[in-house]
Amino acid sequence: MTQVVLFNVFNGLIVGAFYALMALGLSLILNLSGVINFAHGGFLALGAYLAYTLIPYIGFWGALIVAPPLTAALGLVVEWLLIRPLYGKDPLYGLLLTFGLAYIFEDVTRLIWGAQSVPFQVPGWLMTSLSSQLFFITGYRVFMVIIVTAAVGGLFAVLKYTRLGMRIRAGTRDLDTVSTLGVNVRVLRSLNFGIGIYMAGLAGVLAAGLLGLSPTIGANLIMPSFVAIIVGGLGSLLGTLLGGLMIGVASGLAAVYFPSATEAVIYVMMGLVLLVRPRGLLGEEGRLH
Amino acid sequence: MPKSNWRAGVNRRTLVKSGAALAAAQFASPFVIRARAADAVKIGLDNPLTGTYAGPGKNELVGCQMALDEINAKGGILGRPVELLVEDSSSGDAGTAVQKARKLIEGDKVDFLLGNVNSALALAMAQVSNEKGILHIVPGGHTDAITGASCHWNVFRVCNTTQMEAAAVCAALVKEYGKKFYYITPDYAFGHTLESGMVKAAGALGGERVGGDLAPLGAVDFSSYLIKAQAANPDVIVFLVQGDDMLNAMKQAVQFGLQNKVHLAGAQQEMEPLEGLPPEARIGTWVLEWYWNQPGVPHVAEFVEATKKRTGRVPTARTWFGYLSVWTCALAAAKANSLKAVDMAKALQDFHLPSEIALGPNPAFYRAGQNQLLASLFVGNAQPSGSAPDDLFHVTDVVNGAAIASSVEESGCKMTWPT
Repeated sequence: MTQVVLFNVFNGLIVGAFYALMALGLSLILNLSGVINFAHGGFLALGAYLAYTLIPYIGFWGALIVAPPLTAALGLVVEWLLIRPLYGKDPLYGLLLTFGLAYIFEDVTRLIWGAQSVPFQVPGWLMTSLSSQLFFITGYRVFMVIIVTAAVGGLFAVLKYTRLGMRIRAGTRDLDTVSTLGVNVRVLRSLNFGIGIYMAGLAGVLAAGLLGLSPTIGANLIMPSFVAIIVGGLGSLLGTLLGGLMIGVASGLAAVYFPSATEAVIYVMMGLVLLVRPRGLLGEEGRLH
Repeated sequence: MPKSNWRAGVNRRTLVKSGAALAAAQFASPFVIRARAADAVKIGLDNPLTGTYAGPGKNELVGCQMALDEINAKGGILGRPVELLVEDSSSGDAGTAVQKARKLIEGDKVDFLLGNVNSALALAMAQVSNEKGILHIVPGGHTDAITGASCHWNVFRVCNTTQMEAAAVCAALVKEYGKKFYYITPDYAFGHTLESGMVKAAGALGGERVGGDLAPLGAVDFSSYLIKAQAANPDVIVFLVQGDDMLNAMKQAVQFGLQNKVHLAGAQQEMEPLEGLPPEARIGTWVLEWYWNQPGVPHVAEFVEATKKRTGRVPTARTWFGYLSVWTCALAAAKANSLKAVDMAKALQDFHLPSEIALGPNPAFYRAGQNQLLASLFVGNAQPSGSAPDDLFHVTDVVNGAAIASSVEESGCKMTWPT
């Protein structure tokens, strides 16, 4: 029994890392722009399908490199055309728009690639388990954790050490002052959105190797991302990362003790956090009032 | 300051107007296949077009369309052209399915109601169709209750019951793999009845349930369940999850290399998830309800060709369900020489479908007193590829549904007819 629990905790961390990747992109966009991007799952699905389409031409590794920036480019177009008019307004407008976009993306992927799931091939050598005992630690999951760590590390490095990152961080605190100081806030928001969508696209390519690739792949993953942000704390990227890991582990433990509640448990956690500490574990007070 | 070239804010009037427009859109015409004719016979299809079950729903729709074209080419129903009105029931929201059913029956005045892939939605819709006295064919909702404890005189079901699927596959599993089963079951009506059917059928052969988990519908990650399953040391891990859940579970199980330690199998399998799995994950013993590759069985090849011409792919069991469902409507009306639901329902009791619609080695007929279609079940093994690119299933045994179905009494169906 202890082994099952330990395995599930460990596996939960791996799955949680994946949730964290998606949640971080979402959090980035939310912190700077105040836009609740419900279409994040749709961008994830697009990234996955773009990779699926590219694999026969440039292989899995090529698709991994190319699909996320392509998705980010599409994200920039969406931001420029649709989201920009909503900055500074009630966050509800952004939510409504992106909510509708989520449906549009799902139906567009259904239209282009069909309603049925499509087979997504990952290189065979990634498919083997580390050992017979630790069978759930497959090469692919290790690879996924490495990619997530690199992406998260890269993101934090950009935010801490580059001028763009500094401006984004300053912008999340006080965008008006940043604008007064001469920074082109429009471009800043666009780039920030692009980075967030890049992470969604990357999460999509990784997800397609793990799960079945169908038009609803994003819809199933969007809610854990929101929960990760709420649990970890609005306004804190580190909190989001922790939130993602926590819900992964919670889900894994629920599978051991209360298997039909693996999805419900993350909402219970969210409910508890909202009751006891509404700003989340590492969140700042007064976000999105 | 950033230049804003949009009007500031959305004013309340706009919001109210758009809300009203949205509400009105709910009552707009459904997607109609064929231009409306005043005297057309209408068939209403209330099935998932979005969400988890969009894949099977789409294939059932294709089957319906194929039957519709054939029927209209032959003069329609009782000399009148036939229309198919299509509504999206959603994949899991019973409220939407019921609302659309009411709209089709009361608003569009359909003569027949078809649906739903989701067993729970099918049951909810059956309440409505029974209340309104409309002939209702369920192409692909499997839970036993539809022609069991919750049976109605006006509701007919094409696909197998979960009890039949369990009975068909259990003998093969126990004989070939062993007696200890661990179940991964979707946590809703279909899953519950399928698991209890399996436990019962396996138990009769000496099989033992060493453990199991109920997974929420739409669960994305099965690794925790698979960890538990492996720890229980079964002979077989029985996957009862369907659609995308099946795909995720099998993909992950094979990634873990579990097929090298235990056998992976299940009851109901479908072409849709098999086509979506990477080739190395197309393994295991399953039962299909209809398969396209039936050498020597008349008319099947023509049906396969017609489907390929329309969609570029082979027909799946879902295509056949939709096809047979719409043909049932036409044949029932023809036999009863009437569109009154009670007359047609009576005409369908013990009604045998012609071989060009039955498309299988055994006769296909609706059992009297239960309205359940008994036909063939195809037990076999998934394979990465076969004689043709779409040949993803190797049939080892074709079971006659009539031979393994529980009796009408055992099913719990007590049918009452309107006076």
